[in-house]
Amino acid sequence: MRLPRFEYIEPRTLKEAANALAADSKGSVLLAGGTDLLVSMKQRVIQPKRVINLKTIPRLAYISNGKEGLRIGALTTLHDLSLSRTIREQYPALTEAAKEVGAYAHQVMGTIGGNLCQGNRCRFYNQSAFWRGVRRLCFKAGGEICHVVRKPKECHSTYCGDLAPVLMALDSRIKILGPHGERALPLKRLFTRDGKRPLSLKKGEVLKEILIPEPSGKTLYLKWRLRGSLEFPVVSLALHIEKGTNGAIEGARIIFSGVGPGPVEALEAEKMMVNGLLDEEMIEKVSDQAVREISPMRTSIHSPAFKRKIAGILLRQALEQMMKS
Amino acid sequence: MNKFNVVGKREPMLDALDKATGRARFTDDLSLPGMLYGKILRSPLPHAKILYVDLSGAEKATGVKAAISGKDIPKKKYGIVPMAKDEYALAIDKVRYIGDEVAAVVATSLDAAEEAISKIHVDYEELPAVFDPLEAMKPGAPIIHDEVPNNVSATIRKEFGDVEKAFAQSDFIFEDTFETQAVNHCPLEPQAALAMVDHSGKVTLWSSTQIPFFLRRNLATTLDIPESMVRIIKPKVGGGFGQKIDLYAKDFCAAFFAMKTKRPVKFVYEREEVFTSTRQRHPMHIQLKTGMKKDGTILAQQFKVVADGGAYNSTAPLMITLACFFIMLPYRIENLLFEGFHVYTNKPVGGAMRGHGIPQVRFAVEAQLDTIAEKMGIDPLDLRLKNAFQAGEPHPAKLLVQSCGFSDTLIKAAEEIGWKEKRGKLPFGRGVGLAGASFPSGVSNMSHISSGAVVKIERDGAITLLTGAADIGQGAETVISQIVAEELGVSLKEIRITAADTEITPLDPGTFGSGVTLRAGNAARIAAQVAKEKLFEAVAEKMEVEARDLEAKDHRIFVKANPEKGMSLEEAIKVYQYSDRPMPIIGRGSYQPPAKEPTTLLKEDGNFSPAYSFMTQAAEVEVDTRTGKVKVLKMVTAHDCGRAINPMLVEGQLEGSVVGGMGQALYEEVITEKGQVLNPSFLDYGIPTAMEVPPITSVEVETNDPEGPFGAKESGEGTQLSPAPAIINAIYDAIGVSFNSLPVTPERVLEALQKKDKR
Amino acid sequence: MKRILKLHVNGEDFEILTEIHKTLLEVLREDLGLTGTKRGCDLGTCGACTVLIDGKPHLSCLTLTADVQGKKITTIEGLAQDGQLHPLQKAFAEKGAIQCGFCTPGMILTAKALLDEDPHPSEEKVKKAISGNLCRCTGYVKIVDAILSVTDKSSES
Repeated sequence: MRLPRFEYIEPRTLKEAANALAADSKGSVLLAGGTDLLVSMKQRVIQPKRVINLKTIPRLAYISNGKEGLRIGALTTLHDLSLSRTIREQYPALTEAAKEVGAYAHQVMGTIGGNLCQGNRCRFYNQSAFWRGVRRLCFKAGGEICHVVRKPKECHSTYCGDLAPVLMALDSRIKILGPHGERALPLKRLFTRDGKRPLSLKKGEVLKEILIPEPSGKTLYLKWRLRGSLEFPVVSLALHIEKGTNGAIEGARIIFSGVGPGPVEALEAEKMMVNGLLDEEMIEKVSDQAVREISPMRTSIHSPAFKRKIAGILLRQALEQMMKS
Repeated sequence: MNKFNVVGKREPMLDALDKATGRARFTDDLSLPGMLYGKILRSPLPHAKILYVDLSGAEKATGVKAAISGKDIPKKKYGIVPMAKDEYALAIDKVRYIGDEVAAVVATSLDAAEEAISKIHVDYEELPAVFDPLEAMKPGAPIIHDEVPNNVSATIRKEFGDVEKAFAQSDFIFEDTFETQAVNHCPLEPQAALAMVDHSGKVTLWSSTQIPFFLRRNLATTLDIPESMVRIIKPKVGGGFGQKIDLYAKDFCAAFFAMKTKRPVKFVYEREEVFTSTRQRHPMHIQLKTGMKKDGTILAQQFKVVADGGAYNSTAPLMITLACFFIMLPYRIENLLFEGFHVYTNKPVGGAMRGHGIPQVRFAVEAQLDTIAEKMGIDPLDLRLKNAFQAGEPHPAKLLVQSCGFSDTLIKAAEEIGWKEKRGKLPFGRGVGLAGASFPSGVSNMSHISSGAVVKIERDGAITLLTGAADIGQGAETVISQIVAEELGVSLKEIRITAADTEITPLDPGTFGSGVTLRAGNAARIAAQVAKEKLFEAVAEKMEVEARDLEAKDHRIFVKANPEKGMSLEEAIKVYQYSDRPMPIIGRGSYQPPAKEPTTLLKEDGNFSPAYSFMTQAAEVEVDTRTGKVKVLKMVTAHDCGRAINPMLVEGQLEGSVVGGMGQALYEEVITEKGQVLNPSFLDYGIPTAMEVPPITSVEVETNDPEGPFGAKESGEGTQLSPAPAIINAIYDAIGVSFNSLPVTPERVLEALQKKDKR
Repeated sequence: MKRILKLHVNGEDFEILTEIHKTLLEVLREDLGLTGTKRGCDLGTCGACTVLIDGKPHLSCLTLTADVQGKKITTIEGLAQDGQLHPLQKAFAEKGAIQCGFCTPGMILTAKALLDEDPHPSEEKVKKAISGNLCRCTGYVKIVDAILSVTDKSSES
């Protein structure tokens, strides 16, 4: 499958990239690792007029410890993340998540920024032009209907990123650069939960940096897929728990991937945990609650009921691991 | 002790270094000056009449040199089995599945070709479609091919013994229904073809085929030109597993456009096309009834098998016949009734795949045997041993089994998996299982299933070997060269092999039915013997001994009884030349597998293979009872392949085949919805990665088959018959659930465990 | 749109005029005649097109050629040095790790990148590293053996 024709731009600074993007935000795409973008382009899911390559911009790939925590440049590759000693020592769950993306070459090519900003996925959307031509054009691809849920003008595609749950569990913030300057926001606000436009980036905005606060508490990442490699998570889970000196839980974050139009945080389940003790009873209660807060759809070959089941099992496993440690 | 010098050695494949350095050329690696690139437009509808194809948009597009649709091609049907031809290279009257070929273009670049096919407009009249073979068999179902009004395009009914009486005499009767899934072969190399036409109109086609001589015949038919005007050359082929047996639109289109444009033309499939528009393993619906005596004797078996053939026949009659015949081994079943139906549906097309119709039915038999064993309180291993067929026994269907190591494979596989210590004794969630099988080494008694070979002894002592055998990565060229080297007493590096070029190399049926080593190996051995005898004559004359007293070994020719007395091969060649005998020293061999009992396979009973291999697969699994995921901890494969000509290559065959079988047990399924393949990619269709592979132990059970070259038989294909049931039986041991359908996904495991809890 | 691109492949410099939307896989195979790099799925899920860029494995089917100008590109054709096969090439051939050979170039290059990073990986690590390189012939057993055999040799020396 050949790539469609496009104009190719190599900006020298991020500002230049942002301006180029703003000049034609609908017809332009940003290229980072390319493992998501180029597949979509080959399949003609997107046919941009212009490709703006971020990789030729210097100093966008870094991992540096500062006083607010760890700063990671958006162009840092997943492979570099997984090799970083700092990350392995301070945020081992992030190392794990990076090592679970695709396979070796995907990790070498893929970047943290690209991984966070990857497109939502759907079995009716991430297919070739021929395949999609068998059915009516779906809403996400520019048509009127959704093949997952037969309602017009709604898209139920699924967010399947590995890193977002962990980084959200770590309470990360992101720095975004646009034509009008920089802004910072909590990572979770990057995601709109709108399948058609899953990211909240405004016209010309580019993800520049990820900030992870000083390590505290304990974080786990568990990913479930059929085979031990290559696949996106069928369901994955990041769990973060902070305990007080008396052993009571002071804060918890439960974030899933693969079960909604963005990373899904089980807020009610999190609340249930606060001030409690991590025991069998709580594990039962919390995992039952959490699966009520997710909304898996039939966007992959796995059934929603099964995804829900696995989500519960993953959370139970993670909580048990936390209890034992 | 290996009494041979080259046979039985772990020799690397002759072309391994070419493949390790990137020098090996596959079809898509070839290009010719002025070459055009082609693309095929495929049907988006599962069943429709083609009303009109408007090519004008494509024809006008930049770079496009020609465009055709079905009405532009000779109205000649093709099919790999002559009696079951039902396909045009491009659809003429109607399309029968999503992905069926409608039109094609060639252009000066792939970009232009891809763009051009989107500019072809086709008017269809949509027809009702049918996707379930059981529905398709019912009266009133949509008719997919007018000539076959009930959609049943091939049937077989065979009965041996007296089944009705045997069931009446049975102490226990077991009846179960099984379902198997569609499986794609997934060769790593997608199908490709490159064609060139010379001034005389002769077509040369380089193709990713595993069956060049049949391709020549089929291509000539579809192009409507004499067979002699077609030359097929097989470059390196990146795996086939049966999928590269058929002629595809890419072969026809490359040749047809090359004739039309007078320029070389290349067509290469996308991975999606490999999934939707080549071939797949037939899904089957199997009803199995087994009658048992109290002592564990299988008294009778009755099968009703419905194979979902998809839109066309491909190998249909052969497939359903093989399914029948190979259920008659490796167990002794005196009374057997098999009814098989190949049914058209508006789905991707079934074809030959490693095991060819047999793994599906094997799965049913082997899974049921374990539930029978459980219910009757017999150890599943003992049950199999009790009914295991033995060499030389009379067979109810007149199969002639001259060598049979089946019982041995059972015992050794069981030992290796730790059967005695583990079966029924592991904690809940862990289990072991095993399953047996048998497979032919090619098919006898059909003259087009003959192999030829030419062996030339060159002036410098090197050996030139011409064989029609099609190496698709299994190492056929290496194995055949080893046979020739052994016969001529030279080392493997002296052999120069040219293979699989229909104009240069002698006839060979190609790589299917596991007959290559036996057929092409025997032909090459005969050719080597003939060449050797010519040399022996001259040497004998010079040494004043009898030719029959000579032997060739270690690059020398000498008197058997007195090895000191002899000369080097080079000297012998000189002796030959100075004796005024004609050069070159050349031997020709033709080999047709003999049949002591005549059979035509499809019509008469009798022995249809020159040799039968036997095997047992054993598995140990761990089932995560929370998530339903099954992890295979260990696989054992015990295989009676006669004498292994190259044990390293045999192991490679077994290991690859076992992992393929694991995929079919646990991960792989071509899922369709209204005829559309939902997972036409390696992301969504889960062939095992290195992460899934457990330790695999290969246990060789060597027998010496009188018919095989140096005693060799099939290896690698039969191996794929029983890994799936071995794993399913291990899961049964682990969690007490016997699965009747494949693949056993975590979702199905969880459902089953839940049901079990409720009971 | 065509552009002149400067590429450094297997120690040689190339200047080619080519379409900007061509992937590295397409340029290697079509413009440079380096057909050792294989096209198995074209969508980044089989690993057959793997090449090394600055020593690290990349899927050339998902790499824009313009993007790798100035970088050191190594394909299977460039792995042997001064006529000396790389130990992995020898091990793959001798241990029976090659059957049809279509996955072999990508597999060997991936293994090389791994061994350059970690000369003594565990069996699990080897499996994980090559898990994006699909093989349908061998069942991976002999491939893993071949890779591990090279690590053994380097530990001996």
